[in-house]
Amino acid sequence: MTPTILGGRQPDIENRPPPPKERTTEHKWLVEPGQRNSPDPEPGCKPLYISKIAEEKMRNHAASKVHERLEVMGLMLGQVFIHEGVEYTMVRDVATTDLDASSTRVRFRRDGFEKLFASLDDIGFDHIVAGWYHSHPGHGVFMSPTDVDTQKVMFSSSFHRAVVIDPINKEIGAYRLGRIDVEPVPFAIYWEEHQNPYYGTSVRKRALSD
Amino acid sequence: MSVRVRVRNAETGSTVDMELEEENTVQEIIEGAAGYWEKDAGAYVIRKGKKLLRGQQTVLEASITHSDDLELIPDPEGG
Repeated sequence: MTPTILGGRQPDIENRPPPPKERTTEHKWLVEPGQRNSPDPEPGCKPLYISKIAEEKMRNHAASKVHERLEVMGLMLGQVFIHEGVEYTMVRDVATTDLDASSTRVRFRRDGFEKLFASLDDIGFDHIVAGWYHSHPGHGVFMSPTDVDTQKVMFSSSFHRAVVIDPINKEIGAYRLGRIDVEPVPFAIYWEEHQNPYYGTSVRKRALSD
Repeated sequence: MSVRVRVRNAETGSTVDMELEEENTVQEIIEGAAGYWEKDAGAYVIRKGKKLLRGQQTVLEASITHSDDLELIPDPEGG
């Protein structure tokens, strides 16, 4: 006998304005057409905002495996909001674990999931897995056929995002699933009021567990 | 004896309530939840607390009990 579905619930999406312009900036490593100097789409919000802490963790993670030329990967944790009828994604933190990785492939190790779950439980705010990040050490930023499959199978909602980082060429790109295929999306790095602004010119050492 | 559990989709925050029999397997739970959300069951794992549930374990073997909260987690691959 198969399990019986009794019913489901979908969370409401909260209305909330995006981070103010004075607490956001463009990433210094942008290369994708349409991402650099992109005007905000109406009504003044980008499809993706990444906290400076999440960005530093992703960039540090990618940089930590440069010498071995290994890809890294993790989950982006955040929330979805609506502002004046437009949906946007905020990534506030990331989580990862031990990886099976080569220079062209990466997955979570099967025996690493429980470490991943512990990291998810340590996140101090209500979150969803808003997307995933991974690195292409020395290969540039793009979504490979494997990446596109992952996006289509797992991250197919309108608010799901992917971030790809090449720590050798100093490139970064963000993507979402469009009507036909993945497409680059403009994004901004934001910081909280109590934090120093994000400059993005150097990588501050920030452990994944911070 | 049947047990009722709630499965949360980590990617969306959506939940689904399911009624399980003791002999149901974890794989059947994943397939049921993934099917409900029109997802590929092969791309996910499921957890109870910090514990990864193994596909061939039954509800009884996995110590799944009434009112447990389970969570469906994506298992992505990058290339």
